[in-house]
Amino acid sequence: MPADPAKMTLSNSTPQWTLLFVAWLLGSVFCTAQAAAPNSQAAGGNAARGAVSKSYPPDRVEKGKSLFRQNCSFCHGRDATGGESGPDLTRSRLVTEDVDGDKIAAVVRNGRPEKGMPPFNLADDEISSLVAFIHTQQNDAIAAAGRPGGRKGVDVSDLQTGNVEAGRKYFNGAGGCASCHSPTGNLAGLASRYQGLELEEQMLYPKNAKSKVTVTLASGQTITGTLVYQDEFTVGLIDSSGTYRSWRTRDVRYNIYAPVNAHVTLFGKYTDDDIHNLMAYLQTLR
Amino acid sequence: MTVFRYAFLAAIAAITLGSVIPLRAQGVDQQMLLHPPANSWPSYHGDYSGRRHSHLQQITPQNVKNLALAWVFQTNQTASIKSSPLLVDGILYFTVPENVWAVDARSGHQIWHYHHPTHEGDHIGNRGVGMYKQYLYFLLPDAHLVCLNAKDGTVRWTVQVADVTKGYWTTMSPLVVGNHVLIGVSGDLDNLTGYIRSVDPETGATQWQWDSTPAAGTPNQTTGGMTWMPGTYDPELNLVYWGTGNPTPVLNGSTRPGDNPNTCSIVALNPDTGRLVWSFQVSPHDTHDWDAVEIPVLVDGDFHGHPKKMLMQTSRNGYFFVLDRTNGQNLLTVPYGPVNWSLGINKQGHPIPNPAKEPAPDGRLIAPDEGGLTNYRSPSFDTTTGLFLVDAHPSWSIYFAKPADGVYGWAGADYDVWGKGVLEAIDYQTGKVRWSHQLGPGDSGSGVLTTDSGLTFTGDAMGNFLALDSTNGKTLWHAGSGSEIVSSPITYELDGHQYVLTSSGGVLFAWALPDE
Repeated sequence: MPADPAKMTLSNSTPQWTLLFVAWLLGSVFCTAQAAAPNSQAAGGNAARGAVSKSYPPDRVEKGKSLFRQNCSFCHGRDATGGESGPDLTRSRLVTEDVDGDKIAAVVRNGRPEKGMPPFNLADDEISSLVAFIHTQQNDAIAAAGRPGGRKGVDVSDLQTGNVEAGRKYFNGAGGCASCHSPTGNLAGLASRYQGLELEEQMLYPKNAKSKVTVTLASGQTITGTLVYQDEFTVGLIDSSGTYRSWRTRDVRYNIYAPVNAHVTLFGKYTDDDIHNLMAYLQTLR
Repeated sequence: MTVFRYAFLAAIAAITLGSVIPLRAQGVDQQMLLHPPANSWPSYHGDYSGRRHSHLQQITPQNVKNLALAWVFQTNQTASIKSSPLLVDGILYFTVPENVWAVDARSGHQIWHYHHPTHEGDHIGNRGVGMYKQYLYFLLPDAHLVCLNAKDGTVRWTVQVADVTKGYWTTMSPLVVGNHVLIGVSGDLDNLTGYIRSVDPETGATQWQWDSTPAAGTPNQTTGGMTWMPGTYDPELNLVYWGTGNPTPVLNGSTRPGDNPNTCSIVALNPDTGRLVWSFQVSPHDTHDWDAVEIPVLVDGDFHGHPKKMLMQTSRNGYFFVLDRTNGQNLLTVPYGPVNWSLGINKQGHPIPNPAKEPAPDGRLIAPDEGGLTNYRSPSFDTTTGLFLVDAHPSWSIYFAKPADGVYGWAGADYDVWGKGVLEAIDYQTGKVRWSHQLGPGDSGSGVLTTDSGLTFTGDAMGNFLALDSTNGKTLWHAGSGSEIVSSPITYELDGHQYVLTSSGGVLFAWALPDE
């Protein structure tokens, strides 16, 4: 149950300078850890270039299409290229790596609650049909990419409108990125790990970034760990021994160090050019 | 004074007797819809105003800490409950797609279950049934309207209300006004005309249909303007108020120049004829999928020193609107969270879309995200505090569109970047947020209910049901529900007990104070 760092609010009792220092301190540790674990569900820039998988019987594809329209199209789009809130499955790394449903089936059955995808109660043959439809859509999309302007969705080539120097300047200046990140430190080789849309999404907000929490008990004892759960009533962490521990928030004091929140403060400041320039610069960090 | 007091007591007695002791099961009649008794919740919003505010006062800020489970009902479905249950004659009626349950409101046990498997149409959700006399009106994913006998769930008749093969589906809770069952349609994955249809409650025959957009294929004209949430009704003006959805193609507006009238709009219709009386567009030329179907809440009261019949909407596009509902004139337009897609507000109160913030091949950073600053879950207008409470979703996303994405259906791509849930209590005179309550990461999917006793019921993003102090937003009670909350609470009084009903995942929870 990984906590979404989006919710983490900085403790009201912690002075700003302390947070900045801790952000700087932790930035390298946590952002590096995060960057080393690419999100396999994100629409990978290279995913769509993967080998075309096998073809499926038309009647199975047709059945899958019907099931997809009933259950999946609202979020993933009628043709699986993305819709309301759901990613483009024809560019999904997970779909590319899937063989006859060995990865897709589990996602359909279990959902991805942390990303808002519900589980679906479908029979094995129904899931097989869905898998046939999704792979066929991906095959068709890859085939269409051979024609000029034939590929829907976001290509790596679409995200090349920025200026490297302007991006470098923003990184080191107005963006404040350099206060947590370094092109030779925690961002070294970044563009080798992420490309295209996946890189841009990581840049704007690294969804899997971890935050630290220090809990102070009534006795005065403090426990520091990785924050994994927080609501108004309960705070939970994994401590240095890998053990999950939680407390009622009313019984303890706690300070959360969420350097990732620096990304949130940028949303209202970015121009679209800033984002494109920053992308251009980050793509040089190979 | 004495005379007044006796009259007052007599009135209370009349209301009490009339409301909590029904002599026999009668179903829903006009009187009940116009003046819902305390022991009923006869339509989606509970009454025609859409305020989702109850006058019940048994559960108070002082005793809510004792609130306990009365019962739980398990649908055993993976689909989440998005419906508002109806309560009529002690029986609750609620839904998920293809399924209706009748459940005893005292015990939570099932009386009957209707299931009609459908193999076509989007199964994204269902908001519940409408009821008139002894009959329920239920929309299926394949765009058929079913009339069920409320006694046993047997089918009285079924009529097709839209063509599922073209891409329509239906999810909304039919709104009963007079002798009309009003239904709306969904379908923005294709370039289709949205409409509201009035159906005869006895036969299912179409009485009238109002189209929000021209026929598909009309040059330089938009399609879309779906109608997938129930509206509200002012019996004095005899006007029905309805929100319409986004234009299509969704993210690419090049084939539909101009404002695209009656899409992303609040419209006022005569329920007897379907005639459009006025229309106010909240998002001219939308390219971000921001339906304006959020509840058009009706409030009578003072606006800057003048008595007004108002209509209020916290719209998906990020703006809070106050309109004069007699004529559709704008009184107030104010953002209630981060909004970066407009150049400002024009003299008529419409946001002016910034062309530079239309989806583009290299992406545009947009606030709010596509799900919007709020969505279909109900807000509440608290008549005791004058506050408009909404489950808001401050959020950012990136929007893309390029020629290869075409000009049909979605016609682009967008990706949520970040968001959170915040309950906001908005002063309707200014749009200023009087207090707010953080609801957690991502998005809280809960609607809001307020009561005269000073309580606000809602839920957070982690699945906790919450009862807050309506004056300041402080948490007074909570219970973890174990799943996502994507519905709006209701309340009613039965056998002298006030119940609050909430749902989470496929489970319905009834809460009440313990017996003394």
